Amino acid sequence: MDSFLIGAAQIFTFTTIAYMVAGSIAGIIASAIPGFTVTMAIVLTLPLTFTMEPLQGIAVMLSVYVGGYTGGLISAALLGIPGTPSSVATTFDAFPMARGGEAGRALSLGVWASFFGTVISTIVLIVAAPPLALIAVKLGPWEYFSLIVFALTIVASLVGDSVIRGLIAGLIGLAMSTVGSDPILGRSRFDFGFEMLETGLPFLVVLIGIYAISQLASEVEDSHSVRSGSKLVTGAIDFQTWKVMKEVLSRPVNLIRSSIVGVLIGALPGAGGSIANLVAYDQAKRSSRTPEAFGTGIPDGIVASESGNSATAGGGLIPMIGLGIPGSAVDAILMASLMVHGISVGPRLIMDHSDLVYGMFIAMVVSSFIMLIVAIFSMRLFLRVAEVPKWIIVPVVMVCCVVGAFALHNRISDLYLLGFIGVVGYVLRALGYSLAPLVLGVILGPIAETNLRRALMTDGDPTVFFTRPISLLFLIAAVISIVWAIRTHLKKRKTDERFFDAAAS
Amino acid sequence: MSQSDLDEELALEAGEIARLVSYILFLLIASGMFFAAGDIPTSRFERLGAGAFPQFVFAGIVLICAIAIVLTVPKISAAAYGQFFRFAAKWARKCYLVFLCLAALGLYLVAMPWLGFSLASLIFLFGMQLALLPRSVKSIIIAAIIAVVFSYGLNLLFAEVFTVFLPKGVL
Repeated sequence: MDSFLIGAAQIFTFTTIAYMVAGSIAGIIASAIPGFTVTMAIVLTLPLTFTMEPLQGIAVMLSVYVGGYTGGLISAALLGIPGTPSSVATTFDAFPMARGGEAGRALSLGVWASFFGTVISTIVLIVAAPPLALIAVKLGPWEYFSLIVFALTIVASLVGDSVIRGLIAGLIGLAMSTVGSDPILGRSRFDFGFEMLETGLPFLVVLIGIYAISQLASEVEDSHSVRSGSKLVTGAIDFQTWKVMKEVLSRPVNLIRSSIVGVLIGALPGAGGSIANLVAYDQAKRSSRTPEAFGTGIPDGIVASESGNSATAGGGLIPMIGLGIPGSAVDAILMASLMVHGISVGPRLIMDHSDLVYGMFIAMVVSSFIMLIVAIFSMRLFLRVAEVPKWIIVPVVMVCCVVGAFALHNRISDLYLLGFIGVVGYVLRALGYSLAPLVLGVILGPIAETNLRRALMTDGDPTVFFTRPISLLFLIAAVISIVWAIRTHLKKRKTDERFFDAAAS
Repeated sequence: MSQSDLDEELALEAGEIARLVSYILFLLIASGMFFAAGDIPTSRFERLGAGAFPQFVFAGIVLICAIAIVLTVPKISAAAYGQFFRFAAKWARKCYLVFLCLAALGLYLVAMPWLGFSLASLIFLFGMQLALLPRSVKSIIIAAIIAVVFSYGLNLLFAEVFTVFLPKGVL
């Protein structure tokens, strides 16, 4: 109890709270710009924390982290471009909802879902950090590969209008992930003599090109609408704060399920928000009585994606606090900031520095409240983006995308890649390919390959995938998932045929 | 069936032809890549080599594209093939701003190493806005201000606040 109070006393000081507010604003703004990730925002914050007390520094970085996960939803909802990889699934429903004239409601749903997702993940973090951390590190390459096989079945939910084109897009994503040196032995593959391809296709450049450039290009398809000065999003821009809070809370099952998905995925080293939002969305769609409504702008889709990605913030801290293993790049930076202050992060952290650990828990909850307050007061400002005409927003966001792609590695060649992938993305979009499976393929490809090869290097017997209980569990879940998807598609086709027959007669 | 209905159906079939072309293209590329992956040397330290995973993926693309081709061909009438270029040209005319936009982006990216971020962005932003904006003096003034803010202003912000230095150019 003493440690808890010491931690709380360090957080609830005017200076710390003021820094946290600034961190939250910085995180929201940085992630709202396509191409700027939460990780980049935290990296930029790290040097500023060196002069602070350890807990104060961590608290500021956590507020950037929590704010960043929320900021990604702004461009996802208003522009249809995921601000960060963790908000890809948010575009599926938040963007149609905003386009339908409810931009304020879409943002508000995302903010509240993020808030509750972070709070739920912190509760899980406090209660279950030690046992979950032990389970997470016991998973071997077999379990990871089986988990990725299960995650790949999400493609079935993201295929859009055509299963075939969705599958092709997913496989193209996996194929793109194989470009560059192989993840085990570093042998070069498919670089065709281009230096820029030697290290592989940078994921963020692919994401910006595929989603942002293609989306912006499709915005100017109707020349008449652009030249008449039409706005990106029309309709009410009312944030509807309290009404939407009730709307989010009226979906407790979706909210808790998505948050737990986020915590569990966040707790697995190497996974994170970019996968959690898609898995949470997929699970919400599968459990819904109206799965066909997903993608048309329904609240359930936004709640699932945003609570899922925000919950990874707490989930990622589980292996870090429990075992000293960073679950993601952001957690590694948080660890680095503690190490700068001479605090070694490992299994003894909770025993040697319990005030710091309790302080981190408190900082997570305080960060989510600060994010909520900042979001409520600043969203009206962000919603003004919706009033900007297309002839301004399209070129300006394109320049922001270029800056985001360049700032990643400071390489001009990434810009050429961005242009090329942008054109490919537009062509695929125009031909009716769903782009979400492609992005999923790019994310999961390297994890799948690494773990498949690692598993077979450890034990050449492939039956081990079926004899290890957790691995088998994931594989069974994958089979169930595929059978369910086939059943749903057949059912949908039958319904559509009946509808057309009725319309024809 | 009226002429407009017929045209609409042919336009849909033209879309199917475009998709068919994409399936064939992906099938050919994936076949080539499958064999290229087979040439990647294997290792004595592991059961699967660096080329094995890509081969699984490319084989998957070949298989799915083959299925897609088989399913798509019967959907397209013979008349649609003859009309394909007419509909493709019609679509291209309708979407001419997209081509303009992507071409301008390409030029902007190619010119950036020479002109530097600020100047290249200024020209790109002002040019693009001029191409897209409704013609009025007020719009042109706004476009000029936006161009300056998001080129020189953005460069200044990144250099001074984030210490991220955008391309300077050689001119």
